[in-house]
Amino acid sequence: MYKTLTAKNILKHELLGLRVKARNMRNGTVHEGEVVGETMKTLKILKDNGRIVTLPKDIYSFEFTLPNNEKVLVEGGVLIGRPEDRLKKKVRRW
Amino acid sequence: MVSRELRKIALERIERLMDFAKKHALERPEIARQAVLLAMRIAQKARLRIPRRYRLMYCRKCGTPIWSPNTFTIRIRSRRSTHITIRCNNCGYIKRMLVKKKDRSRK
Repeated sequence: MYKTLTAKNILKHELLGLRVKARNMRNGTVHEGEVVGETMKTLKILKDNGRIVTLPKDIYSFEFTLPNNEKVLVEGGVLIGRPEDRLKKKVRRW
Repeated sequence: MVSRELRKIALERIERLMDFAKKHALERPEIARQAVLLAMRIAQKARLRIPRRYRLMYCRKCGTPIWSPNTFTIRIRSRRSTHITIRCNNCGYIKRMLVKKKDRSRK
């Protein structure tokens, strides 16, 4: 159904609704759930127990599960930017 | 100018956000409203129109999706030409749509 969301363009694509496993890069705390909100520097995650946590992007690394069951590990720092501005954001090749 | 590929991505983002809003509208209406507002901002950025099948599904002023409970009042009014009024109970915005009469004259 959704064709264009791949690991290549996830930085320009929509994160809401994806399953995610977020790991704090400083102390290793793990949150797992569905992304339900995004601001310039934070992600809101609906955890499986029904609570919503707000996580800063810059100190977390996120493992997204794409609709085609692919898993992508993204460092939160590269996701910084307003969700509508990320569409046109230029990314350095890696 | 937005490239063709970016427009494709933007269109799919809008589709995904609307489906997301539909999914969460009953239990978490505020989250659904934020998702619709984000879809509107993306359409603005990428300079494209939201597809018609989604454009009728939310309030264009505050972004409340139609799937949330108790959000819209719909009336048929016939004071001028017959039209439907769709009133958002969240912000009060009124959308009016003309009703076309079926042509019954014989040719």
